[in-house]
Amino acid sequence: MSIKYIIRVLIIFATHTLLSQDHLYSSLTIPENLSQHANAVVRLNEVTVTLESSSEMSVREKRIITVLNKEGNENINAYVHYDKGIKIRALQVLAFDAFGEEIKKVKKNDFKDVSAVSGGTLYSDSRVKYLEYTPIKYPYTIEFTYETVSGNTAFIPSFTPIGEYFVSVENSTYTMNYPETITIRKKEKNFNDDILKKEESSGRIFYEAHNLEAFKPEAYSPSFRNIVPEVLLATNEFVYEGVQAKVEDWNTMGTWFYNNLLKGRDHISEKTKQEILRLVEDVTDPIEKAKIVYNFVQENTRYISVQVGIGGMQPIAAIDVDNVKYGDCKGLTNYTKSLLDLVGVKSNYTRLYASPRDQISVDKEFVSFGGQTNHVILNIPSENEENIWLECTSQKLPFGFIGDFTDDRDVLVITPEGGKIVHTKKYTTKENTQTLTGQYSVSNEGSIEAAFIVVSKGIQYDNKYGLATKPERDLDKHYKDRWSYINNMTIDKMSIDNDKDNIEFRETLNFKATNYPKIVANRMLLTVNALNRNTHVPDRYRNRTLPLKIKRGFKDVDEVEIILPSDYKVESLPGKKTIENKFGSYTSEVIVKDENTLIYKRTFVINDGEFPKEGYSDFRNFYKEVAKQDNSKIALIKNQS
Amino acid sequence: MKSIIVIIVLLFTCQIVLSQDYGFGKVSKEELEEKFNPMDSSANAAYLYKERKTYFQYLEGEGFMLFTDIHERIKIYNQEGFHYATKSINLYKSNSTLETVSNLKAYTYNLIDGKIEETKLKKDGIFKTEKNKFINETKLTMPNIKEGCVVELRYKVKSPFYQNVDEFIFQHEIPVKKLKARFEAPEYFVFKLNVKGFLSIAPKKESKNDKIVFTHKSRRGGDGSGSATTKTTYSSSNLTFVKYISSYNVDNIPALKEEPYVNNINNYRASAKYELSYVKYPQEPIKYYTTTWEDVVKTIYEDSRFGAELNKSGYYGKDIDALIGTISDPVGRIGLIYDFVKSKVKWNSYTGKYTDGGVRKAYKEQVGNVAEINLMLTSMLRYAGLDANPVLVSTRRNGIPLFPTREGYNYVISSVQLPQGVILLDATNKYGAPNILPSRTLNWEGRIIRKDGSSSLINLYPKKKSTSSVSVMVSLNENGDIEGGIRTVKTDHKAMQYRVSYLETNKDQFLEDLENDYEGLEISEFNVKNAEDLSKPILESYKFVKESQADVIGDKIYFSPLFFLRSKENPFKLEKREFPVDFGYPSKSTSRIVVNLPEGFKIESLPESSAVALPDNLGVFKFNISGSGSKIQLILDAEINVPIVSPVYYDTLKEFFKQMVAKENEQIVLTKV
Repeated sequence: MSIKYIIRVLIIFATHTLLSQDHLYSSLTIPENLSQHANAVVRLNEVTVTLESSSEMSVREKRIITVLNKEGNENINAYVHYDKGIKIRALQVLAFDAFGEEIKKVKKNDFKDVSAVSGGTLYSDSRVKYLEYTPIKYPYTIEFTYETVSGNTAFIPSFTPIGEYFVSVENSTYTMNYPETITIRKKEKNFNDDILKKEESSGRIFYEAHNLEAFKPEAYSPSFRNIVPEVLLATNEFVYEGVQAKVEDWNTMGTWFYNNLLKGRDHISEKTKQEILRLVEDVTDPIEKAKIVYNFVQENTRYISVQVGIGGMQPIAAIDVDNVKYGDCKGLTNYTKSLLDLVGVKSNYTRLYASPRDQISVDKEFVSFGGQTNHVILNIPSENEENIWLECTSQKLPFGFIGDFTDDRDVLVITPEGGKIVHTKKYTTKENTQTLTGQYSVSNEGSIEAAFIVVSKGIQYDNKYGLATKPERDLDKHYKDRWSYINNMTIDKMSIDNDKDNIEFRETLNFKATNYPKIVANRMLLTVNALNRNTHVPDRYRNRTLPLKIKRGFKDVDEVEIILPSDYKVESLPGKKTIENKFGSYTSEVIVKDENTLIYKRTFVINDGEFPKEGYSDFRNFYKEVAKQDNSKIALIKNQS
Repeated sequence: MKSIIVIIVLLFTCQIVLSQDYGFGKVSKEELEEKFNPMDSSANAAYLYKERKTYFQYLEGEGFMLFTDIHERIKIYNQEGFHYATKSINLYKSNSTLETVSNLKAYTYNLIDGKIEETKLKKDGIFKTEKNKFINETKLTMPNIKEGCVVELRYKVKSPFYQNVDEFIFQHEIPVKKLKARFEAPEYFVFKLNVKGFLSIAPKKESKNDKIVFTHKSRRGGDGSGSATTKTTYSSSNLTFVKYISSYNVDNIPALKEEPYVNNINNYRASAKYELSYVKYPQEPIKYYTTTWEDVVKTIYEDSRFGAELNKSGYYGKDIDALIGTISDPVGRIGLIYDFVKSKVKWNSYTGKYTDGGVRKAYKEQVGNVAEINLMLTSMLRYAGLDANPVLVSTRRNGIPLFPTREGYNYVISSVQLPQGVILLDATNKYGAPNILPSRTLNWEGRIIRKDGSSSLINLYPKKKSTSSVSVMVSLNENGDIEGGIRTVKTDHKAMQYRVSYLETNKDQFLEDLENDYEGLEISEFNVKNAEDLSKPILESYKFVKESQADVIGDKIYFSPLFFLRSKENPFKLEKREFPVDFGYPSKSTSRIVVNLPEGFKIESLPESSAVALPDNLGVFKFNISGSGSKIQLILDAEINVPIVSPVYYDTLKEFFKQMVAKENEQIVLTKV
């Protein structure tokens, strides 16, 4: 074989690869099924992660993405984060028109460079370089390439071919090169063999996924992260901000975390120590002690987020929080824990993924340092009863109440003896109650005057407790919006009792409104359910694609006395209605108490649960029927006089 | 006599004891004990004291610098007010010149067991960031914040940018108990003062003498021979000048609160702005900045990023020749050039009255900011022989330009004078059309600049009503379900809004959203015409089915003839209102509805036809209904004739909407035959 021949082969090979990618720059070559529901199509995404050792990692990515419309501009994601620990080696963008002709080149120094402080954070040392690009015409294609190097190997990028709704993927690959001395752990989620190809050899892992159609968001569906295909990867040995680690499972991860990032950060000033000990002086019950400590933390600290270097995972020392009286979730949790230690109550630092919308669990089987969590709370273990969970960043939540931010998911509890996966509190349907009792009267002219009490618990407490600190003007607006189906409302009384001991929210309300019933000639049409009408009907989908998921159930119970206008008598009443199905139940009934008084009783229950997508239309019909029943009317007719 | 003196002395001392000391660090127990703001009990925090001094100082080697001293004392009543314990100071920079902050000192005060406890802000609570190319940011957050605490801070900012004195803001989202402000400028810098807001706040003016001491250093000897001794002598000379001072001393300034449908709350905020008019150094010619609108226009026009850019034409010459070719009709030429610029150069979302990279580059790269696009458009229109001129605009976000300031205008559009009137154009807006400007520019008046540099005001609000006419044919059955067809024609701004939502979302999504907006209406045969043809109105039509649109009770059926199209809520819910209601443009909506009744039912009663008018021809609502046999016909007209309604009419307007909602919800009754 001559050199010439080799060169020729190489040239052919080179032009071949060039050609094989060239067609991706043109928008005309997108397979039809991939442009459905898509605002952008990832033509090719090549991620290469190279672990030189447990203390050096480089990440190289080349992404070719075709943007189909204006909304797709959001999916280019041409940005790279960097800080003291992450260096950007290469960064470039090429833009192509619909035919694949190059129209612009953006080099590293032409990227915008800004501080990457997000809304809730006061300071972070992280920065970001991002592309600012104004498209001239749709569709167009962007090729984005970058390479970063870092001494941290604790966060290994996962293989997530689909990262967003309305984006489809033509081809996506992931390669990891690593020294054989390192053990790689991995977990494949939501893949099937049709779309995932993998190859493994010593020191190399390769994944490829192709032809993934776009997901479209739908109401009452599982969290996006729980449905998209993903491969999580981590190493047994890693370095985080200069600290070495070797872990096998959650237990050893917990021990390492405790010894290297938590231990010895619990010192408290003598002054605070004396104060806390004085507060719990005559208290023996550990739960009572914990309540006093939690209350102390709520009254004396506030949430401020500062993230620098190792502080991304390690809490600032308790003594620092003690001095400045603020901290982020890590700092405030560690501070509370340190105070609990002082009074002899055992508690554990707990990492988890917090989000009201997405109940995402820490994977029991897949151990990783970061990546699966974004928040810290405190766990007070209990032998016989349920664990107690404390959200230490809130100055308002009742003791032991975590609400929808961190409920019902697996979390990592870190103890000196090691880590373990524990499930947080689930708020069940029967705990999430709203009870409405009261009365309304209707005048001959059609005015309504109502006086009633609404008591909310569980997640329904969570939905409302923020009202307790709203000024009167905002409350007035809130109630007018909450009862938006009653026009011309004047609120005479709004009184709120936030009972944090029993975790009950009690609202006492009086209001008046004109033109409530419809008066037609000598008749009056009165919608019976004036105070808790369900007007919500879940969105209709021509073609439901995702399973039905009801994250949290609830139960509403109403009992309302209705005083009828004196000049009218009942002509017809709606009958008793009962509906029951797997999604919940509904009953409503109007009882005649006397000639002028009716009693309206209603219960409405929605159960939590997961159902196949075929169940969605039944679920929607249930809501629709409830909305219809809640709109039923009594016909009143004027007395002959 | 003696006792009287004693009494007077006592009174005097009482007075002293009662009045609060605003020296730095002199926080009183009374301030810490205060549980709520006596002026506004809903306030989460309040400025107990707010002082700002801005003045010039001459620094050798640097020249005149602008200094600002800030001193604030803030009371925090509850947790909702905690964010007032965090502060951000933006420091501007331009190439090598930058603003700096110094002398930063801050304390938190708490009352613990009746004793005042102070905590100092340390370095660990101060954070410096380079936010972007133009701004360095210093952020700080105070230690030991508890409900009821008081924080106090002071700092000094040194700025080389004396042309831009930050606005003095007097009114905030929280009340101010005592405010002091002072602005000093040497006679060389002449500023003009503009005050705005609902509270009338006027400064006290005075003048004082001041001087600059120049130190001269001269050296003799030391010629390098090594033998002679070096001698340095210092001498100094003085330059005396007059400085003009204006000072403000205001107590009890109420908080400024947001209201819905206000175009920009800052239009109503009490503040004072010092705008540099001219600089006159001794023995140097006067350098003018601004004093009148004519000056503003002149300064902007003479800026190389405006006038010179407007006058460039070589870069497009041939393209325009080819484009307009044989067409000589002015309106035809305007349309061609406007569409050409829109399709050729895309807006990069940056506003500005000045070009950035310049028109030539924008034309070549097909991307530009507001000034590049609209100055290019104006230039091309002129090239085509039209009487075209740029129009300076202040966007809604920028507020209404009440006084002559350069920052008063932040945007530029184009205009063409025709015998039949002026046409306004903005080519940054993809779905815009002649005289249909994007809503960001619909803000009071713009200023048209002519070739000779003269200028005049021009109303930006559209005079023509945007219309929407809906025709519905609907059949009602005896179960209360309906089906039918709907056809809608939208013009001008209403059409533009429709185009934005229709053309910029996924078609499936648009349809699903439409169905869900009407609570699960089921739509078929959906069709939109003229979406891309901006010269024509939008035509939307579809067939629909919807359940339970009438109440069937006994042998009677009750329903509103507008069904799902009826207004359900009065948009105006607040009991009272202080600021104007801004609709953006005048409008007219017409609905014609024909209802086919179910067989075997006859009309028992119909709502009465009626009309309601707002005073001073602001608007009108007409409801005309008639029925015969198996058909009911309704014609509904709603018109708002002005883009902005003064708060004087708020009660009337609220009542107007109340009656409109009530009328649209009135019921038709059918009885079984």
